[in-house]
Amino acid sequence: MESKKPLIIIPAYKEEANIEFVADNIINNYPQYDYIIVNDGSKDNTAKICRERNYNFCDLPINLGIGGAVQTGYKYAERNGYDIAVQIDGDGQHDVSQLEKVIAPIKNGEADIVIGSRFITKAGFQSSKARRAGIKFLSGLIHICTGKKVFDVTSGYRAVNSRFIHIYAENYPNDYPEPEALVVAAINGGKVKEVPIIMNERKSGTSSIRAWKSVYYMIKVTLAIIICRISLGIRRQ
Amino acid sequence: MLPTNLRITLIIAIIFYFILILIFLKKKALELRYTLLWILAGVVMGFFVVFPQLLLYMIRLLGIESPMNGLYVLCIGFIIIILMALTSIVSKQMVKIRTLVQENAMLEKRLREAEKKVDKYESISDGITDTENL
Repeated sequence: MESKKPLIIIPAYKEEANIEFVADNIINNYPQYDYIIVNDGSKDNTAKICRERNYNFCDLPINLGIGGAVQTGYKYAERNGYDIAVQIDGDGQHDVSQLEKVIAPIKNGEADIVIGSRFITKAGFQSSKARRAGIKFLSGLIHICTGKKVFDVTSGYRAVNSRFIHIYAENYPNDYPEPEALVVAAINGGKVKEVPIIMNERKSGTSSIRAWKSVYYMIKVTLAIIICRISLGIRRQ
Repeated sequence: MLPTNLRITLIIAIIFYFILILIFLKKKALELRYTLLWILAGVVMGFFVVFPQLLLYMIRLLGIESPMNGLYVLCIGFIIIILMALTSIVSKQMVKIRTLVQENAMLEKRLREAEKKVDKYESISDGITDTENL
């Protein structure tokens, strides 16, 4: 049935230390997938490495943030007619060997969006207590606002079908987009499914969510979810 | 009542304000549609300074005691509205810039790949002409 391979979207911001590992792993071990690296305007050697190694990559001239980078991937997927797109992190936290599990529900039509979740089976790398509490709060908020229960709302390991490739190419949130993207999915009536995955610890570098930013993160995401929910209410009338 | 000397000062300030807007517009340093709010603010302020009775009436309605405080409230109100309009403009531009950056990156990718193909083709055709020369 599948006319094309699934596309792996790899947003990369200052990932010169990890990008080679991530890309070579896909090229050598998983030829059944296509991939696109989106260099999010990093000033380090990320773009240079991609050029030298002849990777399939898009080079954003300025830094847009993770949302803008991932959206570029969805736009690329849309223009090139992909049926399934999977976004993973550029830091090697997400194991490509788990990808088949994540796209399986899309292939058999069970879901429009599949999220690879750390929390269902509690295996592999978990995160700090404070972060887990924050994720739990957001998960509860999204449950109240959209009626969808998702545990790992901040997971960046997610697969979408062609319908949501179009939707996300048009409309993808900006700053810390993962929880908000779920609300966008709910507004558009997408079927969301969560599958357990095992996550690796970061190879190197720091996570994009730093301690001093986490308060801002929580407030911003909470507001974004509530506003999304309000506009959903208007749309229904 | 506003004291006369204060009214004169304010009128001069407002005239200066309009001249400044005009200079900016003439130099094309301001887009006219973004200036409309500024002009509206100036007109309303000027109106109240020239006809202070109206200002006093409004102020009494709002329960403000001194006319000068009324002018302050008005000023701050306008500033907040203008700032909001600015934030909205910035946000819209951000969306536009984001789209541009993404399109640019995808174009750059296609160009890069096309150039590579051309290079390959040229090196092949170079090879052919070389052998012909032999």
